[in-house]
Amino acid sequence: MPQNETIQDLGLDEYKYDFVTETEPVFRAEKGLSEEVVRQISAHKEEPEWMLEYRLKALDVYNSKPMPKWGGDLSSLEAVLDEIYFYVRPQDQMERSWDDVPDEIKNTFEKLGIPEAERKILAGVGAQYESEMVYHSLREEWAAQGVIFDSIEDGLKNHPELFREHFGTIIPMHDNKFAAMNSAVWSGGSFVYIPKGVSLDTPLQAYFRVNQERMGQFERTLIIIDEGAQAHYIEGCTAPVYTTESFHSGVIEIVVKKNARFRYTTIQNWSNNMYNLVTQRSMVHENATMEWLDGNLGSKLTMKYPSCYLIGEGAHGEIMSIAYAGDGQHQDTGGKVVHVAPHTTSSITSKSISKGTGRSTYRGLCKVHKGARHARSNVECDALLINDTSRTDTYPYIEIEENDASVGHEASVSKIGEEQLFYLASRGIAKDEAMAMIVRGFIEPIAKQLPLEYAVELNRLIEMEMEGSVG
Amino acid sequence: MAKAVAGMEGVTSALNPAAVERIGMSEPEWLRERRAHAWDVYERTPMPTIRLEEWRYTNLKKKLDLNSLQLSDAEAMSDDASTWPERLRAAMDEDREASGHIVIIDGHVVHADVDKQLATQGVILESLQEAITNHEELVREHLATDAVPAEEGKFAALNAALWSDGIFLYVPKGVQLELPVRVTRWLSEAGTAYFSRVLIVAEAQSQVSYVDEVLSDDFESQTYTSTAVELIAREGARVQYVAVQRLGRGAFYQSMQRTLAQRDSKLDTLNVALGASVTRVDLNARLLGPGANSDMLGLYFGDDDQHFDFNTSQDHVAEHTSSDLLYKGALDGASRAAFRGIIRVLPGAQGTDAYQTNRNLLLSPESRADSLPNLEIEADDVKCSHGATVGQLDDEAKFYLMSRGLSLIQAERLVVLGFLGEVLAKLPLGGVVDKVTRVIEQKLAQHG
Repeated sequence: MPQNETIQDLGLDEYKYDFVTETEPVFRAEKGLSEEVVRQISAHKEEPEWMLEYRLKALDVYNSKPMPKWGGDLSSLEAVLDEIYFYVRPQDQMERSWDDVPDEIKNTFEKLGIPEAERKILAGVGAQYESEMVYHSLREEWAAQGVIFDSIEDGLKNHPELFREHFGTIIPMHDNKFAAMNSAVWSGGSFVYIPKGVSLDTPLQAYFRVNQERMGQFERTLIIIDEGAQAHYIEGCTAPVYTTESFHSGVIEIVVKKNARFRYTTIQNWSNNMYNLVTQRSMVHENATMEWLDGNLGSKLTMKYPSCYLIGEGAHGEIMSIAYAGDGQHQDTGGKVVHVAPHTTSSITSKSISKGTGRSTYRGLCKVHKGARHARSNVECDALLINDTSRTDTYPYIEIEENDASVGHEASVSKIGEEQLFYLASRGIAKDEAMAMIVRGFIEPIAKQLPLEYAVELNRLIEMEMEGSVG
Repeated sequence: MAKAVAGMEGVTSALNPAAVERIGMSEPEWLRERRAHAWDVYERTPMPTIRLEEWRYTNLKKKLDLNSLQLSDAEAMSDDASTWPERLRAAMDEDREASGHIVIIDGHVVHADVDKQLATQGVILESLQEAITNHEELVREHLATDAVPAEEGKFAALNAALWSDGIFLYVPKGVQLELPVRVTRWLSEAGTAYFSRVLIVAEAQSQVSYVDEVLSDDFESQTYTSTAVELIAREGARVQYVAVQRLGRGAFYQSMQRTLAQRDSKLDTLNVALGASVTRVDLNARLLGPGANSDMLGLYFGDDDQHFDFNTSQDHVAEHTSSDLLYKGALDGASRAAFRGIIRVLPGAQGTDAYQTNRNLLLSPESRADSLPNLEIEADDVKCSHGATVGQLDDEAKFYLMSRGLSLIQAERLVVLGFLGEVLAKLPLGGVVDKVTRVIEQKLAQHG
């Protein structure tokens, strides 16, 4: 790929999202999580009574569940959460026109290249700043066909029946502690509906930005892809680097109906002080296809396992995951495929790179339930270790209750071989460059699935990270 | 209050401090203290539940009823083979060639012999109880200290407190045993809990292989057998350990094994599980010196409602060590197997080569397999991989064999034997391969 030019254009020589915008929020709840905060959030959103009750019930569930003992190190999280602002309202209403977004916020997103991206290729763009979506737009042609791409709050307001039919059904509040937390304090996120037979030929993109220090972001996204429809949704996440910790816990619920096809791409590049604990799940119906493309580059600790429940005959689920753990980072990621119906197929491909004191963990589940006859699944995990202080783990759970299932798992761990470096050196390629080249080759099968601008950025990041890693 | 009760889980009318006291009555002070300490750990440790990763696939609440178990009160049989059970003798007759024999009936060592020339070279093969008297220092140094101490967990503690007898095998420096040591065990008392230990110390540059086979008829009520296996290979030693489990239904077989491989040693294990209602094997291989290597093999064949649970770990502590694990099983009827394995490469263990493979063949619609092969890697200059598969018989292989004139059933048997045979081919120990193949053939005959 013609990377030299594009990479220079990007001018990425450090964590380029590390800038703070001076903005005055219109409302900020007290720090910490309490019933009062939950009620304030609900009041600000002018929600129906049932949603307030739902939130309060979820708060009880959250309080009753213990901190997970597995995964990453959450030992100091409770103290962090006490200092976090769970709700920060940056402006009073969401804008439909970019010109109406307040200048400071607009500048932030312009630095991140959002309006530019919209002009270029996207079918729709959403932007979340702190706790609220500040901007949402959808191309006229798609709106005319009945496509809904809105903030989750507007989804609840304008499409109450569709909303209520699905909200909290794919990821119930009891699912896990952080799903319960999100159910109590959710704010922002997208509501997407693609009507029967409609194929979006360009992606929808949502952009999540945490700006303020000690901020907690809890977006909630609900996506319904109706029968035979097709779409691609991309989310990107960044935040400035603070010395204190921030927290992000999203819940993403997706329904892919009969014969539909959907891809959800995440490029998470949170700053390295962010806890990123996300629950993402899809219900995949008859002959439908769900694809997760999950890129985890930032955050201090990420725990995220996108999942596909293959509940209709012939459903297909695919999870492609790429993780990069640099100094002090722990990427605890992977995926879950649950085969419930016959003739369902799935694959998980995971690639991780650990550098410095970074740690990457693959954690996954492949489950074939009784009755899911002729299920097929394949899981492949490859890990690359750059330094002797780096760490990688693989924890794949394989649970099979049907004898005509065919399930395979393979994983390998390696470092960059001396022979490889030697060969490239003999061809006149310097070590740094050779390392970057080998790493790029390692992630290529997944990177090539990424939208172009992210693929370019990923390559650049790797090149930068490999500098000085030899020796 | 509830907490205090939870801490006492597993204390029963038979398994209690008085029993520990009684078993250790005539033993030296250090051993009685060790038993008392182990009992303490046992009482303090809660009963494992499926909430623990290690016990995710075996629900002890359903599978093990400690309250119903008694300790053995059988008298030791005489060292006269004609009085021994027919099946025990038959199992021994199948492979007489050995460097030595031990026979254990209902927990008592009733026979021990060792090649005279080897004995003069210093090879020790005797009951653990005798070894306490005859080789106290050696036993004291190694028994339940480095390999399987009480602190390992609830059941390691129970075993360390209540073991009645076991086997001590010592091979001096440079001594090489050409023929295997053969141990044959027989259990007969239904509703009994048996506790035994195996301690093998192979000094530098020595060589030994050891085959431990346990048999019984079916039991009318649950019968529990727990064995703690401690294997120590010093510099350059070569040790092969084989356990063949052919217990009857009603048995709960538990084996806790740890191998300690020092520099340049080779310490291989093979666990064959064919019988019992529940099989639980915990195997931890520790590679402690550069150049150490462990091959870890496992083979299981289940039918009816048999339940197998293998929990293995490969700990690479020193640099330039290697391990290779292959566990394969076929499951018929409503049988179920769980495999949970982990490769741990500790910081500094550069140059590690570690592999782990678990393959399952599901022969019936009701059978089930769970596999959890884990990696935890904290060094960068390593080659590690693992793989797990669950699938059914290969149609193409069956078709080919049938095109050669075999019936469907014959073809299926051949494919299963070929699938499992890969494991046996890796450790071609005299007698073991033939015997295990025969038992699998018998089981396959019922598959029809």
